[in-house]
Amino acid sequence: MTELLRADQLTRHFKIGNALSRRTLHAVDDVSFTIGEREIVALAGESGSGKSTIARLLARIYSPTSGTITFAGRDVKTFRSRKDHLRYSSEVPMVFQDPFASINPVFRVSHGVLRSLKLHRPELSGAERQAEAARVFEVVGLKPDMLQRFPYELSGGQRQRVGFAQALAMKPKLILADEPVSMLDVSIRIGLLNLMAKLRDSEGVSILYITHDIASARYVADRLIVMYAGQIAEQGPIEDVLSAPKHPYTQLLLSAVPDPKAPLSDVADRGEPPRVVDPTPGCRFRWRCPLAIDTCQTVTPVLADLATGHEVACHVAQSGAEVTAFLKDAS
Amino acid sequence: MPELLDVQGLCVDYVLPRGAVRAVDDVSFTVDRGEFLAIVGESGCGKSTLLFAVAQLLAPPAEVTAGTVTFAGANLVGLTDRELAGVRWRNMSVVMQSAMNALNPVKSIGAQFKDALVAHGVKDKSQIRAKSAEVLKMVGIDPIHLGSYPHQLSGGMRQRSMIAMAMLFTPDLIIMDEPTSALDVVAQRALMVQIKELQREFGFAIIFVTHDMSLVSHFSDRLMVMYAGQVDELAGTRTTFERPRHPYTRGLLEAFPSIRGPKTPLRGIPGNPPDLATPPAGCRFHPRCPYVVDMCKTKEPELYPLSKEGYPADDVLVRCLRIADGSLT
Amino acid sequence: MAAPYVSTTPPAEPPAGTPIEAAPIPSRGQSGNALARIWRAIRSNRKAAVGSAIMVVFIFVALFPGLIAHDDPEQDNYAPKMGISTAHLFGTNQYGQDLFSQIVHGTREVLLIAVLVGLATTAIAVLVGVAGAYLGGLWDNALGVITDVLLVIPLFPLLIVIVAYAHATSVWVMIVAITIPSWSYTARQLRSQALTLRSRDFLEAARVRGERRLYIIVVEVIPTMTSLIVASFLTNALYAVLFSSSLQFIGLGNSSSVSWGETLYWAQNNAALQTGQPLWAIAPGACVALLGTGFALLNYAFDEIGNPALRPVRRHRRSGRRSRARAA
Repeated sequence: MTELLRADQLTRHFKIGNALSRRTLHAVDDVSFTIGEREIVALAGESGSGKSTIARLLARIYSPTSGTITFAGRDVKTFRSRKDHLRYSSEVPMVFQDPFASINPVFRVSHGVLRSLKLHRPELSGAERQAEAARVFEVVGLKPDMLQRFPYELSGGQRQRVGFAQALAMKPKLILADEPVSMLDVSIRIGLLNLMAKLRDSEGVSILYITHDIASARYVADRLIVMYAGQIAEQGPIEDVLSAPKHPYTQLLLSAVPDPKAPLSDVADRGEPPRVVDPTPGCRFRWRCPLAIDTCQTVTPVLADLATGHEVACHVAQSGAEVTAFLKDAS
Repeated sequence: MPELLDVQGLCVDYVLPRGAVRAVDDVSFTVDRGEFLAIVGESGCGKSTLLFAVAQLLAPPAEVTAGTVTFAGANLVGLTDRELAGVRWRNMSVVMQSAMNALNPVKSIGAQFKDALVAHGVKDKSQIRAKSAEVLKMVGIDPIHLGSYPHQLSGGMRQRSMIAMAMLFTPDLIIMDEPTSALDVVAQRALMVQIKELQREFGFAIIFVTHDMSLVSHFSDRLMVMYAGQVDELAGTRTTFERPRHPYTRGLLEAFPSIRGPKTPLRGIPGNPPDLATPPAGCRFHPRCPYVVDMCKTKEPELYPLSKEGYPADDVLVRCLRIADGSLT
Repeated sequence: MAAPYVSTTPPAEPPAGTPIEAAPIPSRGQSGNALARIWRAIRSNRKAAVGSAIMVVFIFVALFPGLIAHDDPEQDNYAPKMGISTAHLFGTNQYGQDLFSQIVHGTREVLLIAVLVGLATTAIAVLVGVAGAYLGGLWDNALGVITDVLLVIPLFPLLIVIVAYAHATSVWVMIVAITIPSWSYTARQLRSQALTLRSRDFLEAARVRGERRLYIIVVEVIPTMTSLIVASFLTNALYAVLFSSSLQFIGLGNSSSVSWGETLYWAQNNAALQTGQPLWAIAPGACVALLGTGFALLNYAFDEIGNPALRPVRRHRRSGRRSRARAA
């Protein structure tokens, strides 16, 4: 799998509080992962996990406190000219979560697509731009006559497709999809998930699919990265991670997912948000983990390979012991 | 034993300058004491409007234009605010969708509990304190948080304090409008379990509105599926999951990717919900239905009972012409 | 070298999974060109209808005064102190001038001041407010300080000082003088709204797309603020009418020009109300009030048309009266 994007020890801190009590919010700490060509990588986690921050770091809305992002072999920090920035914007576009806020309500829905084409493919003439806009609309499943509609005339699902069309118009290599379906009705989500799979298969685009819904991640993604409190807890091929989760947090997440077909599992955890403000060294999951040992209190676990490509950041798992904290009885 | 809540033929219209839009069309259902009824549907189906109508919280331009809501024997529709105050919170309370919006951000939790208690005649300070601490403990929150402000609590704790507030007078019926939608999956699970435990202990009935069917699959007794303002299916929860009847229910169940088991490509339900100002002729679901035939486009289906099929104790009600005449099983 | 926009605020985690998929609204009744929509909006809203009617009348009078009042407003050889008659609709003043034609011809100057001050103050307010909100940092602070200084000084006394100092001999001096301090009020409002827009996804989307900052401000931000900008224009025009008439009334205007404020000035100087020429004072005053009402009504109407939540709702008073529902 050719590597497309690589994040190395990506870190992003925010200063919060006022002059009297300066504190640091560790949104993302030491995160490393790669995304290859033609693959969908799911980045899953709950609120406070740092997944949205990662998206914005990769989209270069934020700049990292430390760590590097390498795209197509080049460190993004070395981009200086407007041409470099523009090319990165076109190769790594972003699709946003809220279909009602991510399109400018004043213009027709063709506006974003045409602007993307004008900025990133200046070799096209006006007529060619219109034709290309119609083409990307068809690829995402919208009728080309919808180009003339205003956003309020479209449903949420249709607007999200417009978002993907805007991204596609730029001939991207990697689309950053920040929870693209969480605000859509359940019956509409599948349509968009199928669209994402189609973009990977027939357009050859990679997608970083950020979500809190593991079931939808399983439906489209090839690999899964589970984040907790700004760090990666577990990552690997999605079937491996889901069928044999090694990190207690992953197991907790899986057992809490509502599944009508399986009996209800006993989950004692209340779901309190993680502590990411001025965290002390040690595993950030230790307060909720029934398996926490002494090392967990003082040494922050690092990702280690437990099987091919399947990495876990957990002292107990790495010591070889069976992690059965939150496993469902039936499987 | 008479039902606790009996809704018959309820219609709610939004009266707009260009004409009335019927958001809830002829909805009937009952809720027994201690029963957990889940109302499931996607946005625009009218479930929240229905909830507000039952709780008598509708504001213009929405109004009840037909039907009755009989609670403990008395019809709530047409009562004045003063008459309703006797019922509100003592016998029926409401948990809103987003605690952050429903809780007063500038008052502490304890102060908000006190507001509710005082409004219903509890004046004694020590009684107020005792009752407030008691309901917080019921939902697993340390009473020390009576002095906390909503923004100081986590999302899960805020929702639980909303439920605590709804339980101040241990009502007979608690209506919940998507109380878990703002929560993450672990907090969601914990809250559902908590609600079920409270129900077991105190015996109140619950009407639970949600867009996520799988959420209530292990918790509700009966499930009511709504589409375009109408009830499309009403049956026991397990029955609905094991043998969904209405094409919409089937489509919904097939739209949930699963965590385990084989990975199959899913289709979802193509198309969009209809504009209630101009609903489709005949069956409202027919433009999106994979089993549509000619009569579906012109004849409006009623809610047909299927209890003659032999399902014990459950009435299975389905609004589908082809199910009723047996051409679809 | 364009540095990427670097945000310094942590992202807010949105609530998980509340679906807001809405049924698509078919195009009926919503499309049609802008004029058709404006006409529909005016017809459906009472305030818009009345306000527009007032404005249309005044604009017509300002454009074609000669068609309405045949007398020369400055001619002073009519019989003085005459009451209302068919020859002189408002009578004449003690100088023998026809009051009706004074009012009619004065409309042009009043409207000119109102419109030009409205446009100028709104333009400055938009520039200062939106630039401050979007550029942030030092720019925002500097512009904010200038705005605040002008806000703190009481407006009318400041106007008196400026106009008196400038020895207003032409209407342009009056326009500039009123514009100088007045933009600060609406600049604050526009800045607030631009700030709330700053974190909207579609602006972030434009930024990620690679748009330049100036483009985003002019093309993406400002068009979404049109209703506030129009409201700003109407408010500023209204206050321009009131302030210019007041300044002229106390004698700081050009006393040889024809304007409602000037007419009021002369009326006041000649104790019109006490000497049996009440219309001399009442007519221009009533016109100022009427024009002001027109602007104000349009302002309310615009608010209501733009924000459906503000529209008056037919209320069914519930306490004490049964609601209309009965069992089917």
